[in-house]
Amino acid sequence: MELLRILGEGLARNRLLAVILAGFALFPIYTGIADLPFWNDLAMRIMILGMAAMGLNLVLGYGGMVSFGHAAFVGIGAYAVGISQFYGLDNGWIHVLISLFACGVLGLVIGFLSLRTTGIYFIMITLAFAQMLYFLFVSLEQFGGDDGMSIDRADFMPIDLWEPLRLYYLIWVALLLTSLFLMVIVRSRFGVVLEAIRSNESRVEAMGLVPLRFKITGYVISAMICGLAGTMFASWQEYVSPDIMHWTRSGELMIIIILGGIGTLAGPLLGAVAFLLLEEWLPELMLLVAPAYAENWMIIFGPVLIAVVLFARGGLGGLIRRIAGGG
Amino acid sequence: MIAPVLSLEGLNKSYGALQATRDVSLDVVAGEIHALIGPNGAGKTTLVRQIYGSEAPDSGTVRLHGATVNHLSVPQRVRNGIGRSFQISNVLMEFTVLENAMVAEAARRGEAFRFLRPAFTDRGLRDGAMAILARVGIEARGKTRVADLAHGERRLLEFALALAGDPALLLLDEPMAGAGPEETRHMIEIIERLRGEVAILLIEHDMDAVFRLADRVTVLVEGAVIASGTPDAISGDAAVRAAYLGGDDDVEA
Ligand SMILES: Nc1ncnc2c1ncn2[C@@H]1O[C@H](COP(=O)(O)OP(=O)(O)OP(=O)(O)O)[C@@H](O)[C@H]1O
Ligand SMILES: [Mg+2]
Repeated sequence: MELLRILGEGLARNRLLAVILAGFALFPIYTGIADLPFWNDLAMRIMILGMAAMGLNLVLGYGGMVSFGHAAFVGIGAYAVGISQFYGLDNGWIHVLISLFACGVLGLVIGFLSLRTTGIYFIMITLAFAQMLYFLFVSLEQFGGDDGMSIDRADFMPIDLWEPLRLYYLIWVALLLTSLFLMVIVRSRFGVVLEAIRSNESRVEAMGLVPLRFKITGYVISAMICGLAGTMFASWQEYVSPDIMHWTRSGELMIIIILGGIGTLAGPLLGAVAFLLLEEWLPELMLLVAPAYAENWMIIFGPVLIAVVLFARGGLGGLIRRIAGGG
Repeated sequence: MIAPVLSLEGLNKSYGALQATRDVSLDVVAGEIHALIGPNGAGKTTLVRQIYGSEAPDSGTVRLHGATVNHLSVPQRVRNGIGRSFQISNVLMEFTVLENAMVAEAARRGEAFRFLRPAFTDRGLRDGAMAILARVGIEARGKTRVADLAHGERRLLEFALALAGDPALLLLDEPMAGAGPEETRHMIEIIERLRGEVAILLIEHDMDAVFRLADRVTVLVEGAVIASGTPDAISGDAAVRAAYLGGDDDVEA
């Protein structure tokens, strides 16, 4: 079948992505043997954040649109689960559909209103929309307001998420599908035009194409991927609050992308691995080295980030590719 | 009577106190090479922008094949048959030469909004793109990134992309600007070969090229047309000589 051929060829061209996905698939075997269940939990968080970052990367890296509000879509995805359950709708598959739909519509509206601007104006408008949504959920008392709402692991019949590793592999499959989907579209004519728009919008117009149409489509797709990550996040954390939509969360997604390698498929995933491991280990490291400053682990994190941006062009992915020689 | 490919009627455009286009009317008929000349700042590029759709005239009409296109956007006008090469090269810098042409080819075929098949490995797109490059003779440079391309070759790619959509009207804004003598000769040959195939509005400072290529010449000074006619008539026109040619044949600035 043609799709299989396209997927196979795509994975062969994106070995790093294939390796990372395989690594996540096999990771629970290691944690099972080593008896480190905590690490599964961290791996799930990495996959979810990585998925959201991959979604943002479609517009940020490939399309060159610096959207500073994508955490809002992750939040909408998570709240789609919480609010559905609040009204007695427990089916996880339906939550996924609702969140994809909601994020798609919201992405369309926000994209339509903001993509006519560029540069700093676009950054500010997307940030403004995200902040509006953030404060909307802070003010919605029936859904917990500031305190958020607790969520039950969704009912993904016939999968029982309470069985060990079921949630892990549900998240993994979502990540896999997202990765394959993005892998296909970034190489397609659509993806190529999106990159052409980033390179030179006026040339794309001169070819008779309407850049806005491609940008909005990319924006909607990326919003929906972030929404999917949000629904996974809801089942993983079993809780959602407006904090998930805070602008610092949007910033985190951008940092993850830059850290791992902007405009590449594997970059956001690598970035999520690095970001969450640093977040996990740096405080402990600080506790050993300079206990008084343990809470200020960001003091180390900042310079690490700057070093990556300055010295590892193409982020960690670029570094790995250079070390591995091509690939 | 067949309507001219391009017909401008009473175009006016001001930037504040500066009137960049003054009551300009001109036609470009099928198959003709129509040169637009004038000193720096005469308003040539501004006029091209109004034809192309990236700038709206304050008043006046732009007609393509007899139909008003004032209300159409740039991509709409391109799809209606306008191709433009820009005064400053306007290409996809991070892409290779072939990739530039492949994007143009996908657009030409109306296939750009497709999501499944990989674009750059597509045999059909590649063949179409090679044909686009072959028209200006840079198919051998296909694998080179545009950023690493010599200036003259970049001008050729710019030209190839303007031609890619099989336009009925080609707007060439100083296609030879900055190109070496070799490339200039090459470019003149290419334009010569296009005569009769596509209507061309050619802006050029190189008077040798203009008088070799043009079927008609229109002279623009301070936004207004001061003369229009055959090359012979124009080179003999006293007003043009006074205002512009100044007895010297080459008005490079
Ligand atoms: N966007 C703009 N805003 C203000 N003034 C402009 C703008 N674009 C052009 N002008 C002015 O309009 C006049 C005509 O400019 P234009 O670029 O059309 O000249 P040109 O004939 O193409 O010159 P050249 O031979 O140097 O390319 C110039 O005085 C220019 O400074
Ligand atoms: Mg000009």
